[in-house]
Amino acid sequence: MANETTAGGARTVVDARGSSCPGPITDLALAYRRASKGDVIELWGTDAGMPPDVRAWAEKTRNEVVSIETQPDKIVAVVRILNR
Amino acid sequence: MADKLSIVMYSGTADKFIPLGVLSQAAAAMGTQVEIFVTGFALRGFTEQKQELPFPAEFAALAPALGHGMQQAKVASWDKMLRQAKDLGAKIHACSMMSEVMGLQLGDFNDLVDDMVGAATFLKEAEGGQVLFI
Repeated sequence: MANETTAGGARTVVDARGSSCPGPITDLALAYRRASKGDVIELWGTDAGMPPDVRAWAEKTRNEVVSIETQPDKIVAVVRILNR
Repeated sequence: MADKLSIVMYSGTADKFIPLGVLSQAAAAMGTQVEIFVTGFALRGFTEQKQELPFPAEFAALAPALGHGMQQAKVASWDKMLRQAKDLGAKIHACSMMSEVMGLQLGDFNDLVDDMVGAATFLKEAEGGQVLFI
């Protein structure tokens, strides 16, 4: 996990590659527990269910999905913490 | 968050513990309050003294392939998933009546089990939320 502070909050990279459902969402939830309002969490994963699951998680927890990108080697979801 | 998922875990076969683990962990990660009521043969999965959980006869031939596939996909074991769910706030209750029927006391269960309750407690706890019977 890497932390770097940018304007508007910290950006944390959470590497859930190789972890199957519900691993990525759980790693996201654990990072969310430590996050503050305005922070950005970048979740890396390889589970095929991750894109819809991240959207469902964000809708449920009332946070914002900034982007979800499927790259050749991984899926990258960027979530902004609005509700903390 | 006010929403709740209550699961009645009744089945005692190994395959049924996978969705129990997955749904409990996922729901807890979503911020949902998770209450698991363990009863019937499922109580055997929670004893301090580990007991081998059988596979349903019709799927027994597929069990080795399933185990292998789960290892390949790095799926966590069901008890690890429940532990993670508990770290996120899930609670596990053992059914008092079925425990008695099976000769089990609270001390016979492992630390996944929080307490022993009756059906009324569970029903009251489950009120107004989603309920699953596994």
